[in-house]
Amino acid sequence: MAKKKNTRPAGGKKTRPRPPAAKAAVAAPQPRRRGMSTNLKMTIGLIAAAIIAIGVTVVLSNSGESTAASTSPTDERLVRPDSHKLSTAADGKVTLVEFLDFECESCGALYPDMERLRAEYDGRITFVVRYFPLPGHKNGEPAARAVEAAAAQGKFAEMYRKMFETQSAWGEKSEPQDGVFRGFAGELGLDLAAYDAAFADPATAARVQKDQDDGISLGVDRTPTIYLNGEPVERPGYESLKESIDKALA
Amino acid sequence: MSAARQAPLTRALAWVLTAGGAIGLVAAFVLTVEKIALLKDPGYRPSCSINPILSCGSVMKTPQAEAFGFPNPLIGVAGFAVVAAIGVVLLTGARLPRWFMLGLQVGATFGVVFVHWLIFQSLYRIGALCPYCMVVWAVTIPVFWYTTLANLTSGDLPVPRPWRRAVEGVARFHSAVLVAWYLLIIVLIGEEFWSYWRTLL
Repeated sequence: MAKKKNTRPAGGKKTRPRPPAAKAAVAAPQPRRRGMSTNLKMTIGLIAAAIIAIGVTVVLSNSGESTAASTSPTDERLVRPDSHKLSTAADGKVTLVEFLDFECESCGALYPDMERLRAEYDGRITFVVRYFPLPGHKNGEPAARAVEAAAAQGKFAEMYRKMFETQSAWGEKSEPQDGVFRGFAGELGLDLAAYDAAFADPATAARVQKDQDDGISLGVDRTPTIYLNGEPVERPGYESLKESIDKALA
Repeated sequence: MSAARQAPLTRALAWVLTAGGAIGLVAAFVLTVEKIALLKDPGYRPSCSINPILSCGSVMKTPQAEAFGFPNPLIGVAGFAVVAAIGVVLLTGARLPRWFMLGLQVGATFGVVFVHWLIFQSLYRIGALCPYCMVVWAVTIPVFWYTTLANLTSGDLPVPRPWRRAVEGVARFHSAVLVAWYLLIIVLIGEEFWSYWRTLL
């Protein structure tokens, strides 16, 4: 009776005359408050459960530490014969491998540091670039294919540089930026017909995928992930990388 | 109980309409202003384009943003102003006639259907989320939910006798159902953009 009273329209269709006792019972606000508090409890319970679920998901997905595992410096998944090198050390003592996504902002932020290190250690260490386009970036994979298409014409480093230097102009878009990439190819003086063919060639996409598969099998779960002689570098930056490189060179 | 007294859910509805209408109006207004800025300068970067997923610019340029041939936020500017005004009227304690409440029901139902179509488009067709649009989603759902519950429990929307108990039961858990509704959409968003959220963690 009391429960029904909760939602009965105020002054609505009173079909049944209510006995006075019942009226007195519902006059007290208590039953209503109890109903509200169950609702409130459930609401708060749901919110709490959701917060816990999100927390557990975040923890389980390993937010803090990368899942990239150490491996042998000669692990073939780090450097394949066809992997692109920005610089090659004659002694082969130090090899730096970067898994990157051209659309990833932190890769773009690290790019100047990488260029600085590349200039400072040119010829003394081997810089290897591996494609690791993240699924969340719409144009990360096409960008990798564009770079690969340029690499086919010997302009890997030039296209790599172009992508990062212009990232803010084409990144973070939900529309395809293929035209923009083709423009870069033109600026670099590439044979555009060959570029177009390579860009659309499934073999190019497969080549990018191969890099990504190597990364996934190594446990790479974010970009940039940098390996120095098989050892993943935590929070890569100019200072941390320089320190590690110097130690490895010593 | 006097005939002039409002049902408990009408009280909640009054607040939901007032707050929801006001918040929705601000969001729709901002979206309209951003749309005008985008029309003046196609290279304009809206204030809410934060990253590839949270981006108004890319969403506002889609055909879905003009579902009826004109920018969607225009509907919001007009509609939410009316919603807020009705909320304030209900806050005065007024009991509005059945035809009026049914009119609100029609509007709120259109709003909630449209918003869910937009949610679907945003998640699965456009692949980006626009923060101000999400504010509109977030207020349209309670506006519809509380309007419907108030109309069902007040008798303005007729409920067949066998269903009455069920309706009353659901009405008791009004905010829990709302939260569950929100959570479902949050889960869909989290699932769809999971690979991207991961990179931010």
